[in-house]
Amino acid sequence: MSSVPMIRQSAGPGAARAAARSSRGKAGGYNRRPGVVTYVLLGIAVLVGLGPIYYTLLLGSSDPAAISQNPLPQLLPDASLFDKFSQVMNSDAFSFWKAFWNSVIISVVTAAATVLFSTLAGFSFAKLNFRGRRPLLVFVIATMAVPTQLGVIPLYIIMAKIGWIGTLQAVIVPALVTAFGVFWMTQYLEEALPYELIEAARVDGASMFRTFWSIAMPAARPAAAMLALFTFVTQWTNFFWPSIVLNQDNPTLPVAVRLLQANYFVDYSLVMAGVFLVTLPLIILFMFAGRQLVAGIMAGAVKG
Amino acid sequence: MRKTTRKAWALAAGVASISLLASACSDGGNADEGGDASGDGNITLTVATFNDFGYTDELLAEYTEENPNVTVKQTRAARSEDARTNLTTKLAAGGSGLADVEAIEVDWLPELLTSADAFADLTSDSVEGRWEDWKVEAATSEDGRLIGYGTDIGPEGICYRADLFEAAGLPSDRESVKELLGGDDATWESYFEAGRQFKAASPDVAWYDSATSIYQGIVNQMENAYEESDGTPKPLAENSEVQEAFTQVVTESADLSAHLEQWSPDWDAAFQSNGFATMLCPAWMTGPIEERSGGVTGWDVADVFPGGGGNWGGSYLTVPATGDNVEEAQKLADWLTSPETQIKAFLNAGTFPSQVEAWENEELTASTNEFFNNAPVGEIFANRAAAISVTPFKGENYFKIHQAVADAIIRVDVEQSQNPEQGWQSAVEAFQNLGL
Amino acid sequence: MSVQSPPAPERVAQSGAPRPPRRVGFSQKLSRWDVKVSPYLYISPFFIVFAITGLFPLIYTAYVSVYDWALLGGQGEFIGFQNYTDVFGQPMFWRSLRNTFSIFLLSSVPQVLVAIVLAALLDQNLRAKTFWRMGVLLPYVVAPVAVGLIFGRMFADQSGLVNSALGVFGIDPVRWHVDVLASHVAIASMVNFRWTGYNTLIFLAAMQAVPRELYEAAIIDGAGRVRQFFSVTVPQIRATIIFVVLTSTIGGLQIFDEPRVFDPAGRGGGSQQWMTTTLYLYDVGWGTQRDLGRAAAVAWILFIIVVLIGLVNFAVTNRISTSGGGQPSRRQRRAAARSSRRSA
Repeated sequence: MSSVPMIRQSAGPGAARAAARSSRGKAGGYNRRPGVVTYVLLGIAVLVGLGPIYYTLLLGSSDPAAISQNPLPQLLPDASLFDKFSQVMNSDAFSFWKAFWNSVIISVVTAAATVLFSTLAGFSFAKLNFRGRRPLLVFVIATMAVPTQLGVIPLYIIMAKIGWIGTLQAVIVPALVTAFGVFWMTQYLEEALPYELIEAARVDGASMFRTFWSIAMPAARPAAAMLALFTFVTQWTNFFWPSIVLNQDNPTLPVAVRLLQANYFVDYSLVMAGVFLVTLPLIILFMFAGRQLVAGIMAGAVKG
Repeated sequence: MRKTTRKAWALAAGVASISLLASACSDGGNADEGGDASGDGNITLTVATFNDFGYTDELLAEYTEENPNVTVKQTRAARSEDARTNLTTKLAAGGSGLADVEAIEVDWLPELLTSADAFADLTSDSVEGRWEDWKVEAATSEDGRLIGYGTDIGPEGICYRADLFEAAGLPSDRESVKELLGGDDATWESYFEAGRQFKAASPDVAWYDSATSIYQGIVNQMENAYEESDGTPKPLAENSEVQEAFTQVVTESADLSAHLEQWSPDWDAAFQSNGFATMLCPAWMTGPIEERSGGVTGWDVADVFPGGGGNWGGSYLTVPATGDNVEEAQKLADWLTSPETQIKAFLNAGTFPSQVEAWENEELTASTNEFFNNAPVGEIFANRAAAISVTPFKGENYFKIHQAVADAIIRVDVEQSQNPEQGWQSAVEAFQNLGL
Repeated sequence: MSVQSPPAPERVAQSGAPRPPRRVGFSQKLSRWDVKVSPYLYISPFFIVFAITGLFPLIYTAYVSVYDWALLGGQGEFIGFQNYTDVFGQPMFWRSLRNTFSIFLLSSVPQVLVAIVLAALLDQNLRAKTFWRMGVLLPYVVAPVAVGLIFGRMFADQSGLVNSALGVFGIDPVRWHVDVLASHVAIASMVNFRWTGYNTLIFLAAMQAVPRELYEAAIIDGAGRVRQFFSVTVPQIRATIIFVVLTSTIGGLQIFDEPRVFDPAGRGGGSQQWMTTTLYLYDVGWGTQRDLGRAAAVAWILFIIVVLIGLVNFAVTNRISTSGGGQPSRRQRRAAARSSRRSA
């Protein structure tokens, strides 16, 4: 379809971007390595982030008596952490793996759906012309301002009416596409998708959907990877709505792990081991997604 | 590179649609699992509890042995707040999705009684005389519907640090401490007086942890603290009984309190730093004390409570009227709250029985608590339970008004941003803002 | 061909529907239909989901707000705007508004500024890029239980780490749970901890779409890093800045979890020092008052406030990031770039 020379002819900011992307990695003023200051500043930011996770591990390898005596019971996690893990995973209070898979299904489906639908809507809002575009976009943004606390009762009434109480789709369907995602994709594509590319594809006779699929989707990749990540994390850690609408014997991971807490006697070491087990898949996911983000930019999705 | 991009997208889209279908199919079937009678007359009853009621799988299996057509499934929320939100949301949305038997805390009753129709009337001859009157009355609506069967209660004694008592030159064994605090006729005045004695010898250690918990102990001994028996709220500005209690507590607290808010991190830390010497101590409080006292020895519990007996907390089992098997659920709740079953639950989880008959049970009276210097906690709390005589009336406005006063106590005792007079004035203002 | 297509994206989207290709007959009809219907088709999933799961709750809330409606007692009498006037008459409501705005300013402003700087740092040719990016985002995955526990210990009034640290420098302990401003600072730091990395990555994604040529050109013009940041980066990621400012406004004004876990009671402190409006809403509906009608009124009042503030913020951000600190406007620069390229 579109070759590089053609992009150059249709000069514009988008072309500049495409060209810049394809030339990235070669020598140039901007590609010099940054100085020590950058690494120090980033190092501080990362330490601040790592601290709590490390602390979670420390508490997880301790025991309640030690924790009550000293908020920092030890400096290094130890093997007792694994006993705690197996205690959590083999707890009678809940089925860890069932909860795990429920969480996986919910998070994967909502992340994939949100990305697909948000990119579609974002493409439409950012780059297509239609009546009511502006007011509709404002409407989408305004829906984010609705306080969520009160929506629970009416939402539960709806779910009861359609018989979805206790089913995973009661959690999935409301999260299939979010105003946040639509707004994010609209703003991103407005900046990152060269208009000329769309027109080129249209002139070549590509249908709207084909244009979307082969032009907008690749251009959206870095933002899409991030949106997927955010959506995944949101659903993975979502507690309130699943705890109401799902049956206790068919829970998600946060709902299940919450059972480790109790009103009056809380074994924080066990709770923290549970918290870490819930967080671990996210950390692993981050590593993959992080690669994707970097790759997304280096690859230059627009490159023919 | 582009190929991989596309593949990734296609994969994502594929996963999305397949999982959607899968979840739609697989979960559609068992949506209304639980509670429904199936063809062969077998039914499954669900019991929703929180925290730990001591209902183990073995215990519930016993019910199936006696009633082979019934299977009991328990769903457990971690914290009572979670359970309350869950229950009230579903009730507010019309009652679908509730368990056949729902556990509740005593503090929720005033509100739940305003929609008593949502629950089955559990009045029955088989539970006649099972509990003390005050436990039953708290769960009975104006028109005489009983909406909950009592499970456990929180009879209050005084937990104290024997080592700190000794250091202050006071007697430290259970009997002497009981006498020191006023014995069988202990009053709040005698409790405060003992505190002044303690503080004189040991100025660095507070007598008790928090003013709000003391205030709560006093108010729980009033029959009509905030409302008349017909539910009419008393104007706080003219409520001299409450004002007196308020003033006494905040005045004494200036010197005797550790100025802490219960359950806060500072409160947790005070267990380690000898922050205070005594605590009002319902049966369930022994767990939290032990948990926070790693490495600290010297806790004991005395068979005494100022102003007679007092109860703090405790739970009930209710049967929502929307359930499919209300009758069977009532039978189950009856069985679960029988003295025999409750004793087993007590041995499993330490939930102190509300059933009068259970207090005589040998397994209960013989139980001791190693952490509390091997105190015979079963016997002590059974005595404390028998000493409870007042039924505090708690209507639908009780907790709103209580909160207004308790907030003021926090301002005077913990934050120390107001003096006692200002505190009382602000409580009265907060009451007026409630617009009752 | 498209050389004269309008430069600014807003105008592109409004005026520049893709020209129909020069073909005839059936496929042209189909194509016109495609052009007309597709935009609506693509945004429809959001509106369908919203219609099912968002619209009814909104209408329901409005309906409830004009009735006397207890959480459990259910619908009572129609009382018009009584609930709204009741809410306006409660000093707690006004205090909650003050707290909300104070915490919002203390969190959102530094958060957005730090995030954009961190993003600029990350948008360089770093070694171990993935590590740094993910490291910055890590706080976002820390479970709220852990955050609550850790910050609760750090900011405890008597036994807290922060106060002991201040003590080392001879500073008197701060009463984090008593003083209004101190409690807001503590809560804001909790918010900033969790959300700064998140906003950083959003900025980063946008920055990476900025054409590198613009930087090369700026370097040739002798612009330093700071100058490049203000004259190239900021104007180029304008839409994203608007996005971040708007979403953190909306999120910031609805702040709930952090003030709720700040003390064991979760009611915003003995004198409502840190009771935010959503916390107030929750307290009215689910806490002590248990009045669903009034809570619904609070929800609507809050909704309207958030929309209004959002509009103001949009206008302000729009101006600031377009004016770009005296630099040539985006349009001018683009025009320049175009002409230079055309001659090349």
